[in-house]
Amino acid sequence: MILDKIRNFSIIAHVNHGKSTLADRLLEETGTIDGRNMKAQLLDMLELERERGITIKLVPVRMNYTAGDGREYILNLIDTPGHVDFTYEVSRSLAACEGAVLVVDAAQGVEAQTVANSYLAIDLNLELIPVLNKIDLPSAQPDRVKKELEDIIGINADDAVSVSAKTGEGIADLLERIVRDVPAPSGDPDAPLQALIFDSVYDNYKGVICYVRVVNGTLQPGKNIRFMATGRDYELDEVGIFRPDMVKVSELGPGEVGYIAASVKSIEEARVGDTITEARRPATVPLPGYRKVKPVVFCGFYPVEREDINQLREALEKLQINDSAISFEPENSAALGFGFRCGFLGLLHMEIAKERLSREFGVDLVATAPNVVYQIVLTNQDIIEAHKPSDFPEQVKTEEIREPFIKLTIFIPEQFVGAAMQLCQDKRGTYVSMDYITPERVRLTYDMPLAEFILDFHDKLKSCTKGYASLDYDHIGFRTANLVKVDLLLQDEPVDAFSFICHADQAYHRGHAVVGKLKELIPRQLFEIPVQAAVGKKVIVRMNIKAVRKDVLAKCYGGDITRKRKLLEKQKEGKKRMKQVGRVSIPQEAFLAFMDVTKSEEK
Amino acid sequence: MSGNANPFEPPAGGLSLYLHVPFCERKCPYCAFESKVPSEGEKDLWLEMVERELHWWEARIGRPSLATCYIGGGTPTVLSGPEWARLAEMLESHFTFDADAEVTVEANPNSLSADHLLFWREWRTTRVSIGVQSFDDAELAQLGRLHTAARACEAISASLASGFSVNADFMFGLPGQTFRNWARTLSQAAASGIAHISLYQLTIEPGTEWGSMPEDELSDGYLPYRWAQWYLPLKGFGQYEIANFAKYGHESRHNINYWKEGDYLGIGPGASGHIKGWRYKNISGLSRYSGSLKKGASAIASGERLKGSRRASEAAVLALRMKQGIEMEAFAQKYGSDEESRIIKLLEAFPEDLYSVSGNRISLTPKGMRVANRIWSELV
Repeated sequence: MILDKIRNFSIIAHVNHGKSTLADRLLEETGTIDGRNMKAQLLDMLELERERGITIKLVPVRMNYTAGDGREYILNLIDTPGHVDFTYEVSRSLAACEGAVLVVDAAQGVEAQTVANSYLAIDLNLELIPVLNKIDLPSAQPDRVKKELEDIIGINADDAVSVSAKTGEGIADLLERIVRDVPAPSGDPDAPLQALIFDSVYDNYKGVICYVRVVNGTLQPGKNIRFMATGRDYELDEVGIFRPDMVKVSELGPGEVGYIAASVKSIEEARVGDTITEARRPATVPLPGYRKVKPVVFCGFYPVEREDINQLREALEKLQINDSAISFEPENSAALGFGFRCGFLGLLHMEIAKERLSREFGVDLVATAPNVVYQIVLTNQDIIEAHKPSDFPEQVKTEEIREPFIKLTIFIPEQFVGAAMQLCQDKRGTYVSMDYITPERVRLTYDMPLAEFILDFHDKLKSCTKGYASLDYDHIGFRTANLVKVDLLLQDEPVDAFSFICHADQAYHRGHAVVGKLKELIPRQLFEIPVQAAVGKKVIVRMNIKAVRKDVLAKCYGGDITRKRKLLEKQKEGKKRMKQVGRVSIPQEAFLAFMDVTKSEEK
Repeated sequence: MSGNANPFEPPAGGLSLYLHVPFCERKCPYCAFESKVPSEGEKDLWLEMVERELHWWEARIGRPSLATCYIGGGTPTVLSGPEWARLAEMLESHFTFDADAEVTVEANPNSLSADHLLFWREWRTTRVSIGVQSFDDAELAQLGRLHTAARACEAISASLASGFSVNADFMFGLPGQTFRNWARTLSQAAASGIAHISLYQLTIEPGTEWGSMPEDELSDGYLPYRWAQWYLPLKGFGQYEIANFAKYGHESRHNINYWKEGDYLGIGPGASGHIKGWRYKNISGLSRYSGSLKKGASAIASGERLKGSRRASEAAVLALRMKQGIEMEAFAQKYGSDEESRIIKLLEAFPEDLYSVSGNRISLTPKGMRVANRIWSELV
């Protein structure tokens, strides 16, 4: 393979700016997929991705393209997720590329993630090709958007390519530009092997399949390879490329993107970001990897049926192989039994993991309300990390509680500035700056507790700005805050899974709302259930769920007892799907009551 | 007349018969039972097929003696005098009857005639069960019933005058039914001279005319049921079962036989039966039912025999329908002491005011009966 005929690139874009559709057009234009086999958003492999119209998982694809100069090129496109939760995955894709196509919606202009992703790419020394998409729209304003690109991001947008991924206009130009502007990879086929693992998936037959970008040397089946992080050696079973389905090849040389399978059994042995080298002639240094990403949002996953704990563990292990950003460790809840405290990159990430567990692995689970990590300074000056409310020590032993903060950047049309500022204020945000990036659009910056952000900030911002806002955030460390732990008691017993942390000023308000919501969600049972919220020993809210007073339908006609029994069995099945906490049956939704409450506040 | 016989003894002859008449004058909008307005020749077809089904059984179980017999529907009074005569003759030729056999026929106030009463008196009938439903004309119209309250009173009086032990069915939980209406209906029922009252709560069944009515528009039925539990015993009607109240000695032995896991044959389309631990259900729909019988096959669509815990659970649920509850010693003897202690343990998890233990019996209190579904669903 001649290096100067390879072009490795990613497409980066703000959510909904048309990245997946553009990728579809590139595949068509290069004949990688013919129109008949085309389904929309082809590279979004997960059912969930197509449903939600977002990209979560990276999918690489190799295209052959004969350029205007008559030479044939290999274009490797490494797709990237668009949601702010997955910024980390974007940086992984970018590390395997020399260039990036920066897609901007010609009607909407530069958005928060356009900026964030551009800077990621620039940081990694990638060549940026600005592309204005959706130029077929009557509302497209290419000149305004070009000016935004120059003013806000600071890149030269004079020769931005204008395309319509919908109609196919400009796609040919874009391919030419990729060949012309994305630098060819450099690398030495004879040097010791160095290949970067930028993603992995698990296959039941082949074990862990690593997505790799070869930098130096070559990968061939039969070779003994070594994972530099663990030092463990494996024989290479198979190497191949993505078209976009996996196709075996005889070797992968420098600059190439493909996959390898080496009967690796667990994700821990082949970490994303690790470097593969040859066992016989190892490279002296690994490629620069990525720092292991730290989960910022935690919640408990518990099987509905206690005996399904191993099924849940296996499902989480498999999910982690496909999504290494998920962390989990066993935990034990007095109310819910054994389960796992799982860490995620954000709320969307968490929801997707939960949905994949139930869809792909058939796991029936209860998720507790999400929370962030807190730092607690004890009276003896020790600092502990609390990943869940029950990690909180007694109030008397606590000197200080610190919570994680983010720097939040919001792009909005100027008529929504008031609403957005009000929202930030309500969410305990601290104003940092506001500037007009164009006469109509404003960039707002706030420091905000992550806990407030993860709850529902994104949804609320969208609704108070009619969907016109975009946002991005960075973690900026821990700050002291006046926080309390609110316990929920059912029949006078605290239910640890319902406890939550909030600002002292909001304890009554949120406690009241959660108790009210639980009263609504927990069905009447054969006994009265007092529901209370308490801070420390002090009860701040109390309501009662009255006992069910009638549940009998006498009809059992003509001695048809089998039918009656089946109805009772069905009723019992319904109850089985609820979680038993003491004598009380609690429906799964109730464990997310805290979130429901804050979401319904805006109504 | 079955008068003062202890209803809680198993039927002396040990076998009951339920015969289903799948016809009515008009389909009620809430009714999901096997029933339709008969078209030309259908009643004859049905009689012919019942005859075949009886033959089928006689070939297997001989000509047993019946302790109780219940002819229900549908509306058995849509059968004419001659049709009744033919039906009775068929039953007489395939069964013998215990000397004190309880024989119940269901009647609709609209179609009940003097001829019916006359014939039933001649032919060993002891009980007449009348589908009154309400003594409020507006409610009756809403239910799509063809009779008025006055007609229902006449039917009751005529049946009583003919010397029968009379039951009346009533419905509660109707949309718009006021508590006053319900109380008036019950007080009229209690004073009418009948000996037995059955109460049914309206349920919305899929596939009926009212099937698309949202269920949450119905009341939970607490107040009318609670009232009946308080009022009827004051008037001498003891609640001997979830849905049934009777003057002493007028409890329906046929009904009790169901809850005591007694044996009963179910004859007719869609009927259910139970013989020695085996439960079966007949083919529904007259044409499919007769299709099978014409080929010489049985009318049975499906059957099942519960084993172990499931059977014990079912027995416990059935027994708990009755005020008598579960007789624990007999239960342990039949299903083993493990099952006995399992059931006791499950019941003991409930609040104490829902069940009572007295001597060797565990039963539901009136409060427990009100939430019996919840309790049963824990037991199955």
